[in-house]
Amino acid sequence: MKITKGHFIIGLLLLAALAAYPFFSGVVYTNLFVRFLIFALFGASLNLLLSYTGLLNFGHAMFFGVGGYATALLLEHMPNAGLLTALFVGASAGALLALIVSPMLVRVRDTAFALMTLALNQLLFIACLKLRGITYGEDGVGGFSIPPLNLFGLVSVDITHPYNFFYFSLCIVGLGLFLMWYTTRTPFGSIMIGIRDNPNRVNYLGFNLPFSKTVIFTISGFFAGSAGALFALFQNLVSPDAVMHIQNSFTAIIMVFVGGIGTFIGPIVGAAIMTGLENLAVRYTEKIFLFNGLLLIMVVMFFRGGFVGLYNLAKAKWGSK
Amino acid sequence: MKIPPSDRGTIMEGTAFILLTQGIHGISYGLVLFLAASGLSMIFGLMDILNLSHAYLFMLAAYFAFSIAQVTNFWVALLLAPLAIACIGMLLERYLIKPVHPFGHTPELVLTLGIGMVLLEVVKSIWGTTMLTVMPPESLQGFIPIGYLKYPVYRIFIIVFTIIILCGLHQLFRRTRFGTIVRAATVNSDMVSALGINVPRIYTLFFGFGTWLAGLAGVVVAPLLSVHPGLADQVGLDAFVVVVLGGLGSLWGAFVASILIGLLNTYGIQLIPTVAPLITFSLMVLVLTVKPTGLFGDRQ
Repeated sequence: MKITKGHFIIGLLLLAALAAYPFFSGVVYTNLFVRFLIFALFGASLNLLLSYTGLLNFGHAMFFGVGGYATALLLEHMPNAGLLTALFVGASAGALLALIVSPMLVRVRDTAFALMTLALNQLLFIACLKLRGITYGEDGVGGFSIPPLNLFGLVSVDITHPYNFFYFSLCIVGLGLFLMWYTTRTPFGSIMIGIRDNPNRVNYLGFNLPFSKTVIFTISGFFAGSAGALFALFQNLVSPDAVMHIQNSFTAIIMVFVGGIGTFIGPIVGAAIMTGLENLAVRYTEKIFLFNGLLLIMVVMFFRGGFVGLYNLAKAKWGSK
Repeated sequence: MKIPPSDRGTIMEGTAFILLTQGIHGISYGLVLFLAASGLSMIFGLMDILNLSHAYLFMLAAYFAFSIAQVTNFWVALLLAPLAIACIGMLLERYLIKPVHPFGHTPELVLTLGIGMVLLEVVKSIWGTTMLTVMPPESLQGFIPIGYLKYPVYRIFIIVFTIIILCGLHQLFRRTRFGTIVRAATVNSDMVSALGINVPRIYTLFFGFGTWLAGLAGVVVAPLLSVHPGLADQVGLDAFVVVVLGGLGSLWGAFVASILIGLLNTYGIQLIPTVAPLITFSLMVLVLTVKPTGLFGDRQ
């Protein structure tokens, strides 16, 4: 696709709309949008494994949770650490966890892989509950001081203000999404797709399969960790139920499927749809799982391409050229 | 505290008996796990489907048992609830899982996950989230003495009942036409189909059979543990661990793994209570790291 002047103008307008968004929507919807941004980053990091490498990770919340806990604990014990340091520590914790678990995960495939990730997620969830000395158990880590954003010692922005946090997370998530998109465009991205389509052939071609998978896990863990770190800064609280629970992993999977598996934009669209729908649904019903479950069944049964698939279908039918 | 020499033997014996009863506890829990896991493992072995909603069907059976036992008695529940679960299982297979099967493992796993979420929410809205208790039938409420301790008859019943089911399974697979077809279809379903047997219908029946076993496990477990929406996570996750640990599709592996997990659970809670919940998952991670196909399996 060629980038034309039209695309450029649409991009600028979109950027302007995003910049003006908080002033039109108010605090509640600004926070809702931040939630969407965090889950878009989280979903996109899962998508690297699910759509590009073909690995069904049922325990992606462990990277998210570890990122959140790392940031929260750092700020709890060292309140003087900078904001970006805290964010980076969270992201690195996700990457580190991915490095630690990948020797176990690279050996298993398919169903066993899915269940292995589920078990690891559950293991970390229980560990968070039980290791009270470090994680404060069920209560979680909360009320830590959130440092201001300090740009080269020139300006200091207080990001506890919802609008400022909106712009901050917009930048971080935008950067994260761009980096992930760029990764899929590099030669390494082709290896990822190769692993999805035919792992044996990738191995024959001389690319070290376990090592490549480890690198993919680490990248994915890094971005999931940064989403978790953002979540910790956003809520000023991390608890096992909020960040580490298996349900968080399922939420990410639902987003990828609803948005459209096999595309980069899918989980972002999925995050938008699910955050919006959930916000609507909780007004009328408490049975959010029933809603999510039915949606998931519907998507898998009838619209396997998700929303993006539907859009492409509609475009092919009615779109010009 | 100083123990007089004459009492030492008694105390030693007491400890030994506690360990023994814990052992029987572990075995009875392990056998319940086996009932729940065997269906899961066999369905995977024949049809290459890992049904994530299996644990929720198991929980649903426990709730059915509660409702049926309130109206009539436990024995009727043991007969009817698993049959109802089997019907639900066959409907799920016929109308939801079968159409998605050609598209690979990922949509299938996600679909069964969605079914599980719906079942959980349905259970919550019908029976609420409170803990419900199911009494064992009166003939099984007593205790039998083992040394100094009295041991509940119901747990002994579980052990005997599961062993009967296990022998029945063995006979079914070795002696009946259905069992022969299933064993043949596991090896080469195309050839079985070419011989004029309606393989999709066998699949649906077999799926129903697997969920029937989960239903049995749910009814049997109802008097043992209380019936609540967390049951699926509590026992169901252990059942998944059992299936993966034993090797996907391997019935013998599932049996060994379930006894192992049952014993580890009960002894773990008694000896190292703080980290006991971590044991099962750590074991699974450890085994899969060394042998990705599980203890007795040959496929992933």
